[in-house]
Amino acid sequence: MNEQLILPSAKYKHKVGYLGISLFVVVAVCIYLKYNPFLIFADFTPIQRLLGEMLPPNFSVLWQPTIGKAIAQTGSAAFLATFYGCLIAFVLAFLTAANTMPLRFIRLLVGGFLSLLRIVPPLVCILIFIIAVGLGAFSGMLALIVITVGMFGRLFTDIIENTEHSAADAIYSVGASRLQVIRYAILPQIIPSFIANCLYAFDVNIRVAISLGIFGGGGIGYALYMAMQVLHYQDAFALICLIIIMILLIEKTSDYFRTMILGKEKLR
Amino acid sequence: MLEVSNLTKVLPNGRKVLDGISFKVKKGEFVGILGPSGAGKSLTMRCLNGLLKPDSGSVVLTDDQGFSSDICQIKKRELRKVRQKIGVIFQGYHLVKRASVLENVMIGRLGQISTFRSLFYGFTDKEAEEAVKALEQVKMDHLSGTTTSGLSGGEMQRVAIARAIFQSPALLLADEPISNLDPSNAKVIMKLIRPLSENIPVVGVFHQPEMTAKYCTRVIAIKDGKIIYDGDPKLTNDQLVEIYGEELHQLEQHEQPVLAIQ
Repeated sequence: MNEQLILPSAKYKHKVGYLGISLFVVVAVCIYLKYNPFLIFADFTPIQRLLGEMLPPNFSVLWQPTIGKAIAQTGSAAFLATFYGCLIAFVLAFLTAANTMPLRFIRLLVGGFLSLLRIVPPLVCILIFIIAVGLGAFSGMLALIVITVGMFGRLFTDIIENTEHSAADAIYSVGASRLQVIRYAILPQIIPSFIANCLYAFDVNIRVAISLGIFGGGGIGYALYMAMQVLHYQDAFALICLIIIMILLIEKTSDYFRTMILGKEKLR
Repeated sequence: MLEVSNLTKVLPNGRKVLDGISFKVKKGEFVGILGPSGAGKSLTMRCLNGLLKPDSGSVVLTDDQGFSSDICQIKKRELRKVRQKIGVIFQGYHLVKRASVLENVMIGRLGQISTFRSLFYGFTDKEAEEAVKALEQVKMDHLSGTTTSGLSGGEMQRVAIARAIFQSPALLLADEPISNLDPSNAKVIMKLIRPLSENIPVVGVFHQPEMTAKYCTRVIAIKDGKIIYDGDPKLTNDQLVEIYGEELHQLEQHEQPVLAIQ
């Protein structure tokens, strides 16, 4: 049966209606929670006071050998977590994708495991590993691996399932096995996306590694946390500047290589 | 030789989509299957390479060594072996876009090499040379190093034919190979397929009676799941009307017949 035709004017009325309902819900929630949405613009004193204590930044702290070591720790934790995480995610994705794994039971099992990894919040994950292996960069790296596998396992599964089926059909039609189909029809289609997503994973992992460092994962995040704890705000501001520059550099380099691999139009 | 006997397929709703289809195709024959949409042409083709299992009937393929196998009866592992002997040319070319033209041709022999070698080594230099020769036959050897994504429809179909040639099959199936092509490219493709039938039986589904009249050695017409014509490829107006129905007849009231061979 054909769906009923909806005229443009009726569609416009629907949109206005949905917008009105959304606004009403937001206002109702604000009133119920006694929350003033303009409060954020009302009082800048704490931020002003903090900025006053942070300026001028003490850049001399950046030349301390402990900071260099902390950067290396964060960088290597993010790199190794990306390497192991993407590798595990890549293998698990083939076990979850419907066009590569015929057994529904295995697909559900591995897919469920990936969902479970995604459900665990990063902070809970780092806390578990801190209890298990102690404070430091190693627990940060393990937490990052779990986060990477959960996030990119699902993404790689989608990439595999979205490959063109026609090439696989042609390869099956010449009597090839499933493994041969994966190697000759699916891998050539997914490798560029896989490499580009690994670069993106590293980009994401650097940021997460810094955040996890604050919660005991070691590295530059932990150095920043310690500077804030002992009220060395000028040192902390210098570290924040360093972190921003580091992330920008990594992001731009990652974008450059991803553009090279995927082409400009497919970036993000 | 290909021998199809009494193929029958009934859908769950009780509709008989294949009703006792039987025909033989020998070496040297290029058989074109014609018929209106929904007649059962594609279903027949799917039965020929084991993609669809009929409710009854048999599809027996006998190769040059005299080895016979019934595609409808064999199990999955044996079916893979039989498929190594069946070349298929698809309507949508079915090439691996990111792979080179040469790699796409070599894929034709993938079923014939061990999985271990194909995963960890790939094809040998000798196989690559043979694949280039297959490309020479379809005049595509000058593009063997380029990726297929930049090729035109006609060029892609020529690569698909080279893939089938390189496979050295005992039977060639062509599922609407010229439906996506302009008339001049369609002629090129038909001219390339026809000589292949000198060594192996070739069966193709077509929607162009003028093409089957010119290039096929025999035409089989299917309507409502039954063969209603099997014989000379040159069809008369009345035969075309019988195959395609009154709609074609009504069209011909207004314009000069272009399809029929008088």
